[in-house]
Amino acid sequence: MLNFIVRRLLAMLPVLLAVSLLTFLIASLLPGDLALVILGDQATPENVAALRRDMGLDQPLWWRYLSWLGHVVQGDLGRSFRTGQTVLQAVAERIPVSLQLMLMAEFIGLLIGVPVAIACAARAGGAFDRFMTGSAFAMLSMPSFLTAILLIYLFAVELRWLPATGYVPFTEEPLANLRFFVLPALTLALAEWPGIMRVLRSDMIATLQEDYIALAKAKGLKPSRILFVHALKPSSLTLVTVTGINIGRLLGGTLIVESIFALPGIGRLLVGAIYTRDLVILQGVVLLVACGFVIVNFIVDMLYAVLDPRIRHGHA
Amino acid sequence: MATLELSVPDEEVAAPVGRQRKLGLLFWIASAWVAIILSLAILAPVLPLQNPVDMDMLERRAAFSAEHWLGTDGLGRDELARLIFGARVSLTVGLIAPMIGLVVGGALGLLAGYFRGRFETLVVGSMDVLLAFPPLIFALAVVAYLGQSVPNLTIVLGVLGIPAFMRVARAATLTLARREFVIAAEALGASHARILLRELLPNVILPLLAFFLLGVAVTIVVEGALSFLGLGVPPPMPSWGSMIGEGRDSLDVAPRLAFLPAAALFATVLAFNLVGDTLRALTDPRQGAL
Amino acid sequence: MTNAAALARKRVPIFLVAAFALATPVQAQKSGGSITVGQELDIPGFDPLKVGVYDTSTNTAAAAIFDTLTTLNDKGEPAPKLAVSWTHSEDYKTWTFKLREGVTFHDGTPFNAQAMKENFDRQKNPANKCRCAFYITNVKEVLAPDDYTLIYNLTDPSINWPAVITIQSSNNVIHSPTAWKTKGDDYNRNPVGTGPYILKSWTAGDRMVLEKNPNYWDKGRPYLDRIVLKPLPDAQSRFASLQSGEADIIWDDENDADNIMKAQKDPKLTVHTYKGSGAAVYAFNTKVTPFDDVRVRQALVMAIDRPKMSQAISNGLSRPASNPYGDGSWVKCKDDGALPFDVEKAKALIKDYGKPVEFKMLVTATPRGRMIGQVLQQFWKRVGANMEIEQVDQATIPTRAFTRQFQLTPWRIVDLADPDPQMYANFRSGSPLSLSGYSNPELDRLLDHARVTADMGQRSEDYCAISRLINKEAIWFWTFQNTYYALSSAKLKGFPKMYNGVMDVSRTWLE
Repeated sequence: MLNFIVRRLLAMLPVLLAVSLLTFLIASLLPGDLALVILGDQATPENVAALRRDMGLDQPLWWRYLSWLGHVVQGDLGRSFRTGQTVLQAVAERIPVSLQLMLMAEFIGLLIGVPVAIACAARAGGAFDRFMTGSAFAMLSMPSFLTAILLIYLFAVELRWLPATGYVPFTEEPLANLRFFVLPALTLALAEWPGIMRVLRSDMIATLQEDYIALAKAKGLKPSRILFVHALKPSSLTLVTVTGINIGRLLGGTLIVESIFALPGIGRLLVGAIYTRDLVILQGVVLLVACGFVIVNFIVDMLYAVLDPRIRHGHA
Repeated sequence: MATLELSVPDEEVAAPVGRQRKLGLLFWIASAWVAIILSLAILAPVLPLQNPVDMDMLERRAAFSAEHWLGTDGLGRDELARLIFGARVSLTVGLIAPMIGLVVGGALGLLAGYFRGRFETLVVGSMDVLLAFPPLIFALAVVAYLGQSVPNLTIVLGVLGIPAFMRVARAATLTLARREFVIAAEALGASHARILLRELLPNVILPLLAFFLLGVAVTIVVEGALSFLGLGVPPPMPSWGSMIGEGRDSLDVAPRLAFLPAAALFATVLAFNLVGDTLRALTDPRQGAL
Repeated sequence: MTNAAALARKRVPIFLVAAFALATPVQAQKSGGSITVGQELDIPGFDPLKVGVYDTSTNTAAAAIFDTLTTLNDKGEPAPKLAVSWTHSEDYKTWTFKLREGVTFHDGTPFNAQAMKENFDRQKNPANKCRCAFYITNVKEVLAPDDYTLIYNLTDPSINWPAVITIQSSNNVIHSPTAWKTKGDDYNRNPVGTGPYILKSWTAGDRMVLEKNPNYWDKGRPYLDRIVLKPLPDAQSRFASLQSGEADIIWDDENDADNIMKAQKDPKLTVHTYKGSGAAVYAFNTKVTPFDDVRVRQALVMAIDRPKMSQAISNGLSRPASNPYGDGSWVKCKDDGALPFDVEKAKALIKDYGKPVEFKMLVTATPRGRMIGQVLQQFWKRVGANMEIEQVDQATIPTRAFTRQFQLTPWRIVDLADPDPQMYANFRSGSPLSLSGYSNPELDRLLDHARVTADMGQRSEDYCAISRLINKEAIWFWTFQNTYYALSSAKLKGFPKMYNGVMDVSRTWLE
C-alpha cells in the first residue's frame, strides 16, 4: 500500500509541473502587455521599458518561468499589481465563501439524491423509479445559469422569500448568511443530485440482488431495515468517491453561480482578475485551483484503492 | 455545471455493431426536435423572418402580435427571428467544437490505446494536465484575451473536449486490440496503419459518434454560459445564452425574454443528451451504465 | 426650484441667498445609526501609486475616509475644508492656501503643509511612475513655507483652481505620510486620512465598514455612527437590495431606467438626481481610415437620432448632448454648431466618400456597453456604414486609447467645475489624451486663450467657438449629458449634490 501511495505521489509531480508551466504560458503568452496595463495613461515608451525591466519582463520566457516557479515553491505566489494583496491573502479572504457554497451544495445534493435513490432502488422499474430517473436525466441537461435564473425569478422576484443576490459572513449574521446561500447552493445542488442518485441507485440495485439480502428477507426482517441497514452501507462506497470528485470539480466550477448571485468567492476573484488583467492573481489562483484538483483526484484515487484492492495491482 | 465534463467509465467497451434494442418514443421525439432545430437554423436566411438585428427603438419589449409573433426584445428586435438565428450560433459552435475533440482526441486515444507504452503515458498525462484546469475559466480567459468571435470560441471549446474523446477512444481501443480479429490481422503481418484504419477505426468510431452527440449538448451549454456572461459571440449576433443574459435585466417586466431562449436551450440540450445517451447505450453492452 | 427662483438666481445673486433660506425648511440633523451603501464596483484600493486613478465607487469611500483642501458648496462654488482661505497671484499661476490648524490623521500624525507636500511629491516623482501623475502635469511644484501655508505653482494659469481640486480623486485626497511609509504594500488596503470616517474592516468583494471618527475637526459631524459600503455589480440586485432594506442608498445610472422609474413612484424611496456638466463622448481616430475623412465622421454623427436612442437605452431619461459642456456647465452657447440628425445627408456623405465604410468600435464588456454599441451600430447601418463591436473590459479602454489602438472609442467628459482641464487635455494638439490625433492651430489658439482669460463671459465665448469647431470637424461626438442617479430610502437625509457623480454619504443622517 505504502509503495502504491509513493508511486502515485511521484506520478503527481510531473502533472503538477506541467500544470504550472501551462498556467504560466497562458498568462504570459496571451496578448496584452502587463506593463502597458499597469501604466495606463503613463505608458510612454521609456516608462514601459523601465517597468518591463523592473518586472523582469525583458528576460527570456524560460527564465521568467523558472524564477516564478522558484518563488512559488517557496510559497510566494506574488502580489496583485492592482490591490497590493498577495495571492494567498486574496485566496484566504475568498475561500470561506467558496467552501461554504460547495459544502452546502453537496449537502443539499445528498439530501435530495440519497432518499430518492433508495426509494427508486426499493422498487426498481416502478413508476416512481422511472419518473425520477427521467427527471434526473432532464436535470442533467439543465445548465446552472438557467436554474439560477428560474430560482431567482421564482423565489426572489415573484415570491420575494429569498434575496436574489448578496452575502454576509456567517460569523456576523448567521441567519442572513444562510438566507443568501440558499439559492446559489440549491442551484448547484440541483445539478449534483442526479449524479448522486444514479450512482447510488444502480449500486443499491446490485446490492439488493446479493445473497445475504435474500437471506435477510427470508429471516423476515422488515424491508425498511434491510434497505437502510443492510443495503445502504455497502452500496455507498462509490458514492463517497463520487462526492469527492464533485468537490474537486466544484473547486473551479462555481464561477457562474458566484457571478450570478454576487458571492465574493474564488470564481468571482478569477473573473475579476481576467477583466482587469491582473495576471499575477490569475496565474496564482488558477495554479492553486488546478493543484487542488490534482490533489483531490489523488485522494479519490487513494479511496478507490482502499475500497477496491484490485486497483492497487492493476493499471491505474 | 454537472454537464460540463464528459465523464465515462474507463473500462467502457465497444460492442459489435448491429445489436438491436427498442429505441422508444422519447428517442424519436428528441430526434425530431434536433431535426427541426437543425433545419430551422440552416434555413434561417431563406425563411420569411424579420431581420434579427433590426431595431424598432420605440417598440421595445412588445407583446406577442401578428407582426412580431413572439414580441420584441429589449431593443425592439423581433424575438422569433432572434431565437432562430440564435440557434444557428448555438449549433455552429455546438457541432464544430466537438468535431475538433472527435478528430484530435479520437486519434490520440486510438494511437495511445494501440501502441501503449511511453506514448500512452505521455498522452494520458497531458490530458490529465488539461483536465486539471477549471474549463470555464480557461475558456473565459482565452476568449477575453484573444477576442470574441465564433472561430475563437469554437477552437477553445474544441480543445477543452479533447481529453474526454481521447478517453473514450482509448478505452474502446484497449479492449478491441485484444480481440481475435485484431490479433489475427497482426498475425497475418498487417501493417500498423492497416490495423488502425481498417480494423480498429470502424469499431472505435461508433462509441465516439454516440459520445459526439453528448459533446454537442455540453458545448451548447458552455457556449450559452459564456454568452450569458457576455463573453460569447459578439453582438449584435444573437445567441441563446446572450439572449437569456439580456432578458435577465427585464425579468420582472417581461420574463419571457429570458424564458423563451431558456426553453429552447433546455429542449435542445435535452434532445441531444437523449439521442446521444440512447445511441451510447446501444454501443455499450453494460446496461444502465452511467 | 420654481421658474421664478431660477430666474432670480440668474439675475440677482443676492436674492438667492434669502430665497434659499426661506425655501428650505430647517432640518434637524440626527446623530447615530448606520447605513449600507450599494455601489457598482469593487474598490481595488486607495494608494494612488497602486490604483492610479479612483473610480466612482472608490471616490465615495474616499469622500468618507479622506478630506480635500476645498469642497464645493450647494451652489457649486469652492468652500473651505482642510484649507480655510486662499489667494492667487495676478496671473493665476500661483495659489496660496492657508490650512486648518489642529487637524490630525486617524493615526495621530498631524496634518500640515509638509504632509500635503509629501502627498504631492510622491505622486509627482517620476521614479514612482504613478498613473495619477498625468493629472497633475500642470502643477510645477508644491511648496510648504510654513506649517500652515501651502503654495501651488502652476505651469499655466488656472482661474478656477480651488474648484478643480475639490473632487475626491486620487490626486486630491490627503493621505497620512506616516501610514504609507510604515505600511508599504499593505497601505493600499489600509488607508489613513483625516476624514469623518475611519476604515474599520474590509473584505474584498464583500464589504467595507467605516466607523465614525470621534475626533473629526468639524465638530458635530459626522452624524452616522457607521457606513457599510458593498459592491453590488448587478443593477437588478442592487435595486432589490434597496427595496428589501438591505441597502439604504444605491448608486444607479439611467440605463437602469425601469428601476429608477419604479423608485420615483415608491413613497418609501427617494430618487436623487444631479444634472452634471460634461457628457458621454466618443473619439474618432482621425489618423486611420475611414476616419481620416471628415465626410465619414460627419455622416456618422448625423446618423444618430439621440431622442430615439434615449428611448431605447433609458426609457427616454438620457438628455441628448450637442456639446461637451452640457446644461450643468456655466458655459452657455447660443450656437454650439451641432450637426443635425439627417439620415439623407449622412447617406449622401457616405456615397460621396465612395469607399465602403467599415470599422471597429471599442465597447465595454458590460450589458450597458453592449446595448449602446448595438444601438449605434443600428443607426450607422441605416446610412450604409458597417460597425463591428469589439468588446473590451473597462480597464483596457484607457490603455487602448492612449496607445491609439482604436478606430472609435468611448470616453467620458466628467462633471468638473471648470471645462479647462479636460478640454485642454482632450483637444490641444500634442496632448497624450488628444485621442483623435487631430491638430488645428485655431483650436489650439482658442484652448490657450480660454485657459488664461479671467473674464468668464469671454471664456464661455471661447468654449462655444471650440464646440463649433469640433462639431463641424466631427473629430469627437457627444451622445448624452451626464445625469447622475442615487436611489435611497426616504429616511436618508442630507445627501449632497453628486458632483462628478460621487455619492458623498459622509454628510448624511437618518431621520
